[in-house]
Amino acid sequence: MAGTLVKAAWRESRGSSARLIFLVLCLALGTAAVSGVRALSAAIENGLREQSRELLGADLAIESRRGVPGEADLLVAATASARTTSTKSLATMASAGGRSRLVDLKAVGPGFPFHGRVVLDPPRDVSTLTPLECAVAPEVLEGLHARLGDELSIGAARYTIAAVVVEEPGRLDFSFTIGPRVMLSLAGLEEAQLEGFGRRVVERRLWAFEGNPASASIEALARRLRAELPDAAYLRVETARDAQPALRRSIERVENWLALVALLALCLGGAGVAQLVHAHLDARAGAIAVQRVIGLRPREVMWVQLVHVAGLALFASLLGAFAGSLLPFALPSLLPGVLPEAFTLRFDWLAPLYGASVGVAVALLFALPPLVAVWQVPPVRALRHEAEPLQAPRLLQWCAWGVLLVGLLLVARVEGGEWRNALAFAGALAGLAMVLWVGARLLITIAARIPRTNLPPLLLHGVAALARPGRGTAGAVVALGIGVLVVAGTWLIEGRMSSYLVNALPPEAPSAFLVDVQPDQRTDLVATLQELGAEHVRAAPIVTARLTKIDGRAVADIAAERKGDAGVDRELWVLTREQRLTFGPDLPADNEVIAGSLWNDPQRAEVSIEERFAKDLDVQVGSMLQMDVQGLSVELLVSSIRTVRWESFGINFFLQVEPGVLEQAPHQVLIAARLPAEREEAVEAAIADDYVNVTVIRVRPLLEKALALLGRLAIGVRVLGLFVVLVGIAILAGVVGTQASKRAREIGVLKALGSTRREVMLLVAVEHALQGLVAGALGGTAAFLVAHFTLSNTLDIPPQLPWLALPLMAVGAAVLAAGAGLLGSWRALHVAPIEALRS
Amino acid sequence: MPAYNPAPMQPNAPRIAAHDLVKRLTSGGAPLTVLDGVSLEIAAGDSVAIVGPSGSGKSTLLALLAGLDRPTAGSVEIDGQRIDTLSEDALALLRRHKIGFVFQSFQLLANLTALENVLLPLELARRPNALQRAQDLLTAVGLRERMSHYPSQLSGGEQQRVALARAFGPSPAILYADEPTGNLDAATGASVLHLLDELRAREGTTLVLVTHDKDVAARARVRMYLRAGRMERVEINPVTT
Repeated sequence: MAGTLVKAAWRESRGSSARLIFLVLCLALGTAAVSGVRALSAAIENGLREQSRELLGADLAIESRRGVPGEADLLVAATASARTTSTKSLATMASAGGRSRLVDLKAVGPGFPFHGRVVLDPPRDVSTLTPLECAVAPEVLEGLHARLGDELSIGAARYTIAAVVVEEPGRLDFSFTIGPRVMLSLAGLEEAQLEGFGRRVVERRLWAFEGNPASASIEALARRLRAELPDAAYLRVETARDAQPALRRSIERVENWLALVALLALCLGGAGVAQLVHAHLDARAGAIAVQRVIGLRPREVMWVQLVHVAGLALFASLLGAFAGSLLPFALPSLLPGVLPEAFTLRFDWLAPLYGASVGVAVALLFALPPLVAVWQVPPVRALRHEAEPLQAPRLLQWCAWGVLLVGLLLVARVEGGEWRNALAFAGALAGLAMVLWVGARLLITIAARIPRTNLPPLLLHGVAALARPGRGTAGAVVALGIGVLVVAGTWLIEGRMSSYLVNALPPEAPSAFLVDVQPDQRTDLVATLQELGAEHVRAAPIVTARLTKIDGRAVADIAAERKGDAGVDRELWVLTREQRLTFGPDLPADNEVIAGSLWNDPQRAEVSIEERFAKDLDVQVGSMLQMDVQGLSVELLVSSIRTVRWESFGINFFLQVEPGVLEQAPHQVLIAARLPAEREEAVEAAIADDYVNVTVIRVRPLLEKALALLGRLAIGVRVLGLFVVLVGIAILAGVVGTQASKRAREIGVLKALGSTRREVMLLVAVEHALQGLVAGALGGTAAFLVAHFTLSNTLDIPPQLPWLALPLMAVGAAVLAAGAGLLGSWRALHVAPIEALRS
Repeated sequence: MPAYNPAPMQPNAPRIAAHDLVKRLTSGGAPLTVLDGVSLEIAAGDSVAIVGPSGSGKSTLLALLAGLDRPTAGSVEIDGQRIDTLSEDALALLRRHKIGFVFQSFQLLANLTALENVLLPLELARRPNALQRAQDLLTAVGLRERMSHYPSQLSGGEQQRVALARAFGPSPAILYADEPTGNLDAATGASVLHLLDELRAREGTTLVLVTHDKDVAARARVRMYLRAGRMERVEINPVTT
């Protein structure tokens, strides 16, 4: 029997090729929406990852002042095939021609960096530095009045200055800058004999994995390393994700957005599929009645149609998935400059297959409820076209909706990554569908009861048509409303997000940092900078300290206890590292207290902690921290927890202590300022002359890099948003058009009865416009609510939505529906009535 | 709902029996009584024509007798088993195994060839040698050369002959025909009726046909006249068998 049904399903694909091609194309468009979004997301994520890896120079890094344990190599090797190298860095004095200054020395092993590049001038590979050569930042040459080819003394060795470091992979994080860069080879560092003697050498081990593994698997490995390595409390395990604290929030926002768009694309594809299958079955009702007459049971008819739809969906999904996957490749030629070069485009064969699988799953799930309608086709329809439909079994209908909801939840979980999001999505969609259905029923009721004498005849027929049996008004309004939600929601969120990304970097972001400033130089130096034209000058004292106890418990004990707890994504390293504290009465403008309040306990010394850092330490308001401030123990009460907008690039600290506690502790001052680009060198020269101990670190190139990355993210978000909006409109038009094409016979009759084409067009337009108006108003309202919720809760962006656009959305949906309705009726409107009647 | 019982007919039971059939339609406005208390009995192997003007309820009666539709009141029995209380599945199985149909508008499946149209019910009924049977039937109705043609490539008469072959395929006990020549010209219609008689005689099938054509009705042994949903009279033609 199964063979007969499959054969019957195959035969369903014959005949009426135009209808089937249209169906396949519409299904393919739905799938292309799902897989196109995936492909674009993948392109954006790849770009992000590439950029992040360039900042770290590797896929994974471990940093330690005690040396990276050999077990790290073993653990990494057991997980994935990887290349590895090391760097060592330390702060030390360098001198040339009788001058000396503090520099940030970095010795690099062969192969460094795995991602990104070290740009030297004159151009050469950093790994070709001999043990007696070094490359230095321009600030070193300026500060020491040295030139290329001169000798630089560091420790016991003398190096030839062979090149200038123009660019190197590095974190966009300036609070830890010690001084300008000097680069050596690892063998060269040995010549200096600086290791030992209590020197604080930071060793960094880097890995790059073969085969471009997913971020999630690298994150999992990092968690395992944090949990399993001996001495883990003294190791800083970093992935590319951790490499850009200043950009992390923006990147998280984009990732959340990508997940949301993937889910919205599912909706869009699903709503389209449901309406198309509904229309398809309507068109096949006559044939289904005959099948019933010759003895096919309803469930057998459903299997025939299900297998048929599955076959079409598979074909369409493959078509759509491949087309969607190619979309990012087509963009550079269609819209030159939209996708930045840094967004690496790779064609992944698995992506379209995955897209096709999701497409088939979505098609089948959304096809189920309309497929139950085959129970409603009475066999007597073969005798009498107008026969009353049968009642489909209630249990079956509920089952179909149940399977759709559960299936949608599973697909949303796979696409969105989290159960919480998947549940919220499926719940919200079901809720919206319900609201739309109620709205549609209301429209039908009103249409049926509207006083007919007061309306012009054409408007009257258009309105009355909504309430006629078998018109499918409710289904059309639900599908249209969901489409409007997706299109309008995407547009609203995308607009806010891309402008927020572009403006994430404030104009007052510093372009230079002055390090190693002594407290007594602070006032003069700030005044000098302002005289020299610097803007947004900000100074902050830095006190180094170590955390010894939290709430009376030694950090070593806490670290030992937390070790092995791989499920908790907390850095042990934060417990043991050297902490940099600042002090002062006020928080910077980009800080916001979210728990507790500043300086409210006159009895105790208070500290304000950054939110993420507080999570890593596992402290709350009221916790007590004991710090070792260069030999002196200080007890600090956590009186507030605050968020920091790291993307502001300003000076920010994890720990800020209230005034009157650390002023007497030995400390330095960090100054940030925005210098006019053309005066940077002059300012630097003036400071080098008057303040010999002070180093100016120019960060403009890094700032521009960050700005470019944010700009590209914004473009990526905009392109993806635009894609969803356009595909959404096309699908909506397709759905309405399919519905309208069923009206050929009615239009034929109307024309045969003497209606002019213009009158019939008006009638069709009125009916569809009313459907669109209701769907637009309800779907648009839902879109505003979803956008408001997503922006404020998930993306953490002030919503500020253009609520006045809501009526425009309703009108827009009405115009679109009317246009698509007319387009779908085009053939029937333009052929002789008898032809429409015959068809 | 009771299941379809494929057991052979009960001894002495008429092939088809209807008692006080009422059918009211309520769709779109005031209720309309299409059939009003019709009763009848049809013996196995008999041929019956239901005759009446348009709107007399002929097609509705046929649909009820065939289990295509359910009566508002009254009952229908086939081989002694009530069919108006059967589930949709059971009715489908009844049609699959016992009933054949011929429609005025042929109702061939447009996406199947002539041969496939005839094959489908045979495959559903799991008839052995289905293909051979389908080919034989199409040959018998003179369409040996048109087996691989689609309905759109066949004339009206040819389509109705395919429909005949399809209807007789599973050797149904009963054949219902709704205005089988209504869409055909006189000559073609006559040849289709001739074929229908021939096949019916060969297979021993009970025939119930609906027509408003007196000549067509005259070929049946029994003629039942309907008017305004009621059985007006029954005529028996002793010559025709």
